[in-house]
Amino acid sequence: MRNKKGWPGAGRLAGGAVAAVAAVLWAGTAAQAGVDVSSWHLQGYYQNDTQYRMGKDQTGNTPGLSREQNTFSLSYNKGLFGGWKLGGTFRGSYNGVYDLNDTEFGRKAGGSVIFQSSAFAAGGPAPQFTSFGESPGNTEPGNPNGILAGAFPGNALHFNYNNPSAPNYNPNQGLQLIGQRWHPTHTGGVDIAVPVRPCDVDSRGCVDFGGYGDQSVSDLRFPEFNKRLDAIRELYVTRDFQLPNGQDIFLKIGRQQVVWGRTDLFRVLDVVNPVDFSRNNIYDDLQDMRYPMAMFNAVYDIGPTKWLQDSNVQFIWNAEPFRADNLGQCGQANVMLDAGCTFRGLKNLWDNGGSVSNFAGGNIATDFGPHQIGIRNVYVPDWKLSNTTFGLKFGGTSPDGSIAFSLNYLYYLSQLPSLHGNQPAVNPFTGAPPSAYTGNRLIAFDMHYPHVRLFGGSMDYQWDWAKSAVRFEGAYTSGEEFANTLSSNLYSTNNVLRTVVGIDRPTFIPFISGASTTLISAQLFYQHIFDFQRETRPFGTAGMIDWQDNVTGTLLLQGTYLNGRFHPTIIFARDFMAQANAIVPSLIYNFTNNLVVTLGANFKTAGNINRYKVTDCRACNPYPPFTAAPGQGDEDWALSGIEPLGIFRAGPFGTARREQQVFLKVRQSFGL
Amino acid sequence: MKKRLFTCMAAAALSSMALTPVLAATYTPADVKASFDPYAQGMPSFKGLTVGMTINQSNVDQFKAVLAPVVYNVIKNGWNTITVGPTQDIKLTQGYIKATLDNLNKTSLAKDSDNLIGYVAGRPFPGEPDPKDPRAGTKIAWNFQHGLSWGDNGTIDPFVMKYIDMNTGKVQRTLQLEYHTLNLMHRVDYAPIPEFLPNPAEIFRTIYIKVRSPSDLRNTQLLIQRYDDDSKPDTSYIYLGFQRRVRRLAPGQTTDAFLGSDLMIQDFEGFNDRISAMNWKYLGTKDILYPFYAHTELKNLDPADYPGLKEGFKFTSLGGKADCFPQVTWQLRKVYVLEATPVDKSSPIGKRIIYQDAQTTKMSITGIYDRKGKLWKAWLISNSDPDHHLPSNKGSGIEIDDGFTMVDMQAMHCSIGRFQGQINPKLSPKDMFSEQYMRNTGTGN
Repeated sequence: MRNKKGWPGAGRLAGGAVAAVAAVLWAGTAAQAGVDVSSWHLQGYYQNDTQYRMGKDQTGNTPGLSREQNTFSLSYNKGLFGGWKLGGTFRGSYNGVYDLNDTEFGRKAGGSVIFQSSAFAAGGPAPQFTSFGESPGNTEPGNPNGILAGAFPGNALHFNYNNPSAPNYNPNQGLQLIGQRWHPTHTGGVDIAVPVRPCDVDSRGCVDFGGYGDQSVSDLRFPEFNKRLDAIRELYVTRDFQLPNGQDIFLKIGRQQVVWGRTDLFRVLDVVNPVDFSRNNIYDDLQDMRYPMAMFNAVYDIGPTKWLQDSNVQFIWNAEPFRADNLGQCGQANVMLDAGCTFRGLKNLWDNGGSVSNFAGGNIATDFGPHQIGIRNVYVPDWKLSNTTFGLKFGGTSPDGSIAFSLNYLYYLSQLPSLHGNQPAVNPFTGAPPSAYTGNRLIAFDMHYPHVRLFGGSMDYQWDWAKSAVRFEGAYTSGEEFANTLSSNLYSTNNVLRTVVGIDRPTFIPFISGASTTLISAQLFYQHIFDFQRETRPFGTAGMIDWQDNVTGTLLLQGTYLNGRFHPTIIFARDFMAQANAIVPSLIYNFTNNLVVTLGANFKTAGNINRYKVTDCRACNPYPPFTAAPGQGDEDWALSGIEPLGIFRAGPFGTARREQQVFLKVRQSFGL
Repeated sequence: MKKRLFTCMAAAALSSMALTPVLAATYTPADVKASFDPYAQGMPSFKGLTVGMTINQSNVDQFKAVLAPVVYNVIKNGWNTITVGPTQDIKLTQGYIKATLDNLNKTSLAKDSDNLIGYVAGRPFPGEPDPKDPRAGTKIAWNFQHGLSWGDNGTIDPFVMKYIDMNTGKVQRTLQLEYHTLNLMHRVDYAPIPEFLPNPAEIFRTIYIKVRSPSDLRNTQLLIQRYDDDSKPDTSYIYLGFQRRVRRLAPGQTTDAFLGSDLMIQDFEGFNDRISAMNWKYLGTKDILYPFYAHTELKNLDPADYPGLKEGFKFTSLGGKADCFPQVTWQLRKVYVLEATPVDKSSPIGKRIIYQDAQTTKMSITGIYDRKGKLWKAWLISNSDPDHHLPSNKGSGIEIDDGFTMVDMQAMHCSIGRFQGQINPKLSPKDMFSEQYMRNTGTGN
């Protein structure tokens, strides 16, 4: 387990960078010094992005300001000795939302929470709604609501919610219920508390999930200034080596982005660099979201042959220590899929215990003690050769020039985590230590990032009849892991096929513009999970959570006015299985050559929220006979709710269904 | 190449056998000489027109006969004046003239298409157009397509483009670009001659453009590939800096506003599309004032020093309404007048009236009409002879594009371009014209 901030490999990268620079200088010395040395070329911008989340979230709260990001970016390049060139980008930003709206996203966020016992109506043996740590399913003597006191001698169904001087203090402060921003709570399913304040204010549930998850207010305010040196966004040297036969080898060494594929928005092949969803969910340009990584990138440009009009081979090696996609830390404005809240809530549940709605018997709020359920360990892969990324791409153009294509292979660590369940834990019924645990499907997890092999390809061609360009992209992966309650460890490894087909058609639409075309661009993304498992059980459906087959469509319309200085744009996106939509209108206006203002919004809608209910493993029976329903064996009987796994069904639009945002972005560029 | 020649000859033979005869042309060496040296019998003249005089709003009607209507319109509106320079007999590249002679009468037009049959190199139809020939316009167009616009390879760097509101004079955008061309086939001057091999798709010509500024367009790159088979649509790729991806352009984008300017991709270099994208009609031969000059002899070059200009080289100055017009001298030259009507009925263009310089085959004056038949744009490219330009261009035999203005006469808007054109194969290496080059230099490989 590694749960401290920072980057153990920073020194390694620094060493590599020094070696690279030394090699460059050596090459320069060997070559005729000064032949192509050029001066610095600098270009940059300052950008203010103000976003406001309108209306109320599911709790009835108005989030208000959700982003006040001030970004300074400077790109640079310079010719070095011996044909080498230096390039890169520095970026630093300050997000004022953590100061200007700290009751929502900062030091004062969150509050107290209550939990539901749907078994009890008014006047029942215990209240239907109870406070954190005072659930009916709490066996500690003195619990005002407890109905199980003394039921299981030696049990540990309680935690420290009220004694600051005792270990594992877990008060009912600075909390939310996971998912409360996007769906109703207290609806008969599971509710789990999650701390939402920055980790220097409240360290509960804070752990490094692979580059995020343990961030202080300062880390959140200044996201690039951290031990992974994100302010040095890109820094690389390049050189083109001409071969005697007219071919050439292009080298690019250093921190960089490698972009594969031909589609927009969807990352089917564009998975070489992890991305930061905490900046602005999926709504920033990918080039601003990708985490550049220290890579060795070589392209052997074969050029035309008898069989292909163009061909090249690319080899990449990502030498930088592993980094996960940043899904956002719970308490940030952008928490992709709300997953960061699920993780932090489960981590706190393991570390300190906590209340869970409707757990015991499927309808009684229960207090779990530390080290019983939740996320036990996070295994962020250490640096070793087998944990680095290797990629190979063959690119070409068909002999008649009509089709450009690529074939891709990537060996990498999944940038999304996998939760391996059934980890040994303290028995809440008997207090027996983890070493005594023998059950199955216990919701005690370790977080892993599995190795993945990707085989893929892309192509595009010009469809003259339709006056369109058509793009295809596909990838087949092995090694990805998915939640699966049919497995004793609550996950399975499945192969996955992802494809995208896109079509671009610039069209003269006279009532929009007679001088410029309106770009119509549509894409369909399809995902299929192989060896999909799902079975009907007494209370619902057990097995895998994701959709076996899913389709997401996007449609972009972009007009052009005022000689390309004004672009009204609208994007529609629909997740067909989640029945959720995003609508993103924007107006982009270039006031001057260097001043661009964008006014826009993103709205989301979703259908019936019950669609996202899936098994939550309350009925997984890890501790028979305590957890067995009459007649239940070693299996999940599939009691279901939205949390904690419905996020994988709701997807990025469904989980953001209450986030209706408007934004104003002002960018002033400059060149030096 | 031999294989292709054989294929073409075989195709021609088979075509004849199938009773679909090709339209053969018969030209003599004397025709070739006249084609390249139209002023051998003397320079054209017009009553009252003298070198050094200025034609302006007040005297333009006197010279209407030697002005393209679109140019007359500009002067009559008071938007610009033009100063008359001496007519130049431009010495074109000997490699091209030799190739024309070597391949004389090998080229013909296919009966059922606008494709060439038997073309090797040089000027395909080196003779006076026959008004009775219904395909004379197409032949003149082919003389441009296989003409000497940048020759085997050319570079414009720096290339500065401005978008100007003609009503207010406000410069709305300034772009800095580089522009490169390369002929992969039918080469006449620079190795490899006659073509680069392998080239299985038989790409005849390719253009590469990169935008350096402003920041929102920086690193945008465009690659256009034109096939020897004119019935095959061009292939175009674009690299968008913010996407860091190479995307194939849809066919319609050749008639879309290029980067928001008043130009379309189809306008580049006078005309940039397949010949079969248009129906061509020869309207006649005239002597008109044409924006050709000797750059180093211009008296009013812009004194400003722009980044990338070679020592001693200056851009032409701008003037006229809203500084929309290069201030160059115009000379009386023999031109062929063409009408080009788009085959694609969804094109925003109704027709182009093109004035092609007879000696160089450059298309430097075009009147562009909208689909209602109303004059829409004046498309004027100013050209310098290579011997009075950069020292490195001297003797290249390639008339150098030196700048342009595209005036949207309906919207009262113009886009101007200022060039430092260079004939230097090292500036347009073959590997520059590939998708991968765009990725490598666009930082998103």
